[in-house]
Amino acid sequence: MPEIEIAHGCANGGEPFIPQVCRIKEIIPETHDVKTFRLTTLDGKRPFDSKPGQFGLLSFISEGECVFVISGFGEDYIQFTVKKVGRVTTRLHQMEVGEQVGVRGPFGNWFPYESCKGMDMLFIAGGIGMPPVRSFAQYCIDHREDYGHIDYVYSASTYADLVCKEDLFENWPKVPDMNVYVSVYHASEESEKKGLTESYTAPFLETLGIEASENRAAVVCGGPSLYRTCSESLKKLGFADDHVVTTLEMRMKCGVGKCGRCNIGSHFICLDGPVFTRAEIAQMYTTA
Amino acid sequence: MILKDEMLDSLLTELSKEQIVYVPKQVNGTTRFAPYVSSDKMKLDQVNTVMPPKDLLFPQTQNMYHYGVEKNSGNMFIDPVIESADQILFGVRSCDMRSFDCLDAAFLTKGYIDEFYQAKRDRLTTIAIGCTEVSETCFCESMGQDPNHAPQADIQLRHGEGGYNVTAQTEKGEALLEKFKPFCEEGEVEVADVHCTLNVDASNIKDNLDILHESHELWDSMSYKCLNCGTCTFVCPTCYCFDIDQENRCKEGVRFRCWDSCMFSEYTAMAGGHNPRPEKRDRVRNRFMHKLNYFEDRYGKMLCVGCGRCIEKCPVSLDITVLIDRANELAQAEETEAAHA
Repeated sequence: MPEIEIAHGCANGGEPFIPQVCRIKEIIPETHDVKTFRLTTLDGKRPFDSKPGQFGLLSFISEGECVFVISGFGEDYIQFTVKKVGRVTTRLHQMEVGEQVGVRGPFGNWFPYESCKGMDMLFIAGGIGMPPVRSFAQYCIDHREDYGHIDYVYSASTYADLVCKEDLFENWPKVPDMNVYVSVYHASEESEKKGLTESYTAPFLETLGIEASENRAAVVCGGPSLYRTCSESLKKLGFADDHVVTTLEMRMKCGVGKCGRCNIGSHFICLDGPVFTRAEIAQMYTTA
Repeated sequence: MILKDEMLDSLLTELSKEQIVYVPKQVNGTTRFAPYVSSDKMKLDQVNTVMPPKDLLFPQTQNMYHYGVEKNSGNMFIDPVIESADQILFGVRSCDMRSFDCLDAAFLTKGYIDEFYQAKRDRLTTIAIGCTEVSETCFCESMGQDPNHAPQADIQLRHGEGGYNVTAQTEKGEALLEKFKPFCEEGEVEVADVHCTLNVDASNIKDNLDILHESHELWDSMSYKCLNCGTCTFVCPTCYCFDIDQENRCKEGVRFRCWDSCMFSEYTAMAGGHNPRPEKRDRVRNRFMHKLNYFEDRYGKMLCVGCGRCIEKCPVSLDITVLIDRANELAQAEETEAAHA
């Protein structure tokens, strides 16, 4: 059985606390409360190299710092997809192209993109759980020949809350051997026009006829209830715990395993995680 | 080598000419380590200061960097502030000396080195004094310390009739000892060992806590009277959690870190409303588990040094030694039950 290997305790040993100054290169509105921010250094370079699933911390004059997963990157930028929920994210949403921010990172471990090579991939995301999962999915799409069949299951509260619509409805359906399934919790005129199912993520997932196999990895990210229900559904479908990968979220301040708050037992999510298999999480809770 | 009592002030005055010498004394109604001034009365008879010496290495509030907008270019700037000075910590006890081992593990290992901490740590020299009395809350021997002797200290003093025996224990200590010599004389005073009166068996506490499930009634009974005031974390020499925040004025400011407490619900509260440790029961459990189980798992040592400050200062008398005793009993009971089942 192919094993999924996840690196833990990843530290690049670099500058942990002092951010670098970056400029907002581009802002892409995703939904009414989600925007993607592309950041570049003052001399127009990519701030740092990162692997899918790693995170960075953003700060501004007057607010910060907050942890966000790096949702993607390009030649000369990294991007964060941020939902407006609190003080810092509200401030971020008021910012305009050209304004400057502080960025620290990359921190944490990454999705097992190496050991998943050759496998079929099932991505499951809910709401603002999209950006972390997208970073891995996009990597697979960019290296399409290295991976098997790709299924992408995504749900959000309403049609208006769906993040990365362009990927969902235009880019990804064109990717060979990839299926995109989208559902909304509350149907609307627009969702019906697109022919989207009205369903919660877990029951929706169970109807898709996706079968577990030794050669298929599932990647899940969403709120606590989505994680709980989808884990049960995946179990029902026959997925082994070590073939279900997720990325955890906790309040973090330092990002480098010092400030103390993101622990589950003796594990720090920032340094040992945020990516774990379901088997590892189960093990973590028996010792926590 | 003996340092006579009457020579102590002259020695400290000499040492403080070149370095800041922190001594235990009364400041604003509380005892803590503060810079030596010859007219002050030191509190060397005190068993333990109310405030631990951790703020020498890990200040209660520490600026990390200044930020703002450059006038000419309009660009944002970030200027790190890494402060350090040659410091001597005089009169530290074995328990507090051992707390530096814990802080070192947390700040200097596991991939990232905390440069703010390291800058201060590298330039600290420690002079420990063996305890001559113990308080009723001291239980450092149960946590593996010797109240009479701190092996980690650069120089160890032990008080006897009329003076202190002086022993250098590290290279740093040997170097500083040169400064001691003019104030000392040959010989040794007779010293008497002291022992803790509060004793608890912590030898298996990590394993015993592993046996007790998260849902165990022990955690209900231990947490019900807790007020979540955070005093225990404030006076603890090993508690090192911090928050990062900023003080801002117009377009510039300073980002700093400051002590935080795992007893507060905001500590883990996330934007959007989710809190992984919502109840005080969860937080009390996490604190005790961190001290006695998680930290050992991660760094190979207990995060409790047995100084007894949390026991003494807790407004509702929550007692970590009571927890250890009860956890030992309950774990044993569970094991016996499992063996019979």
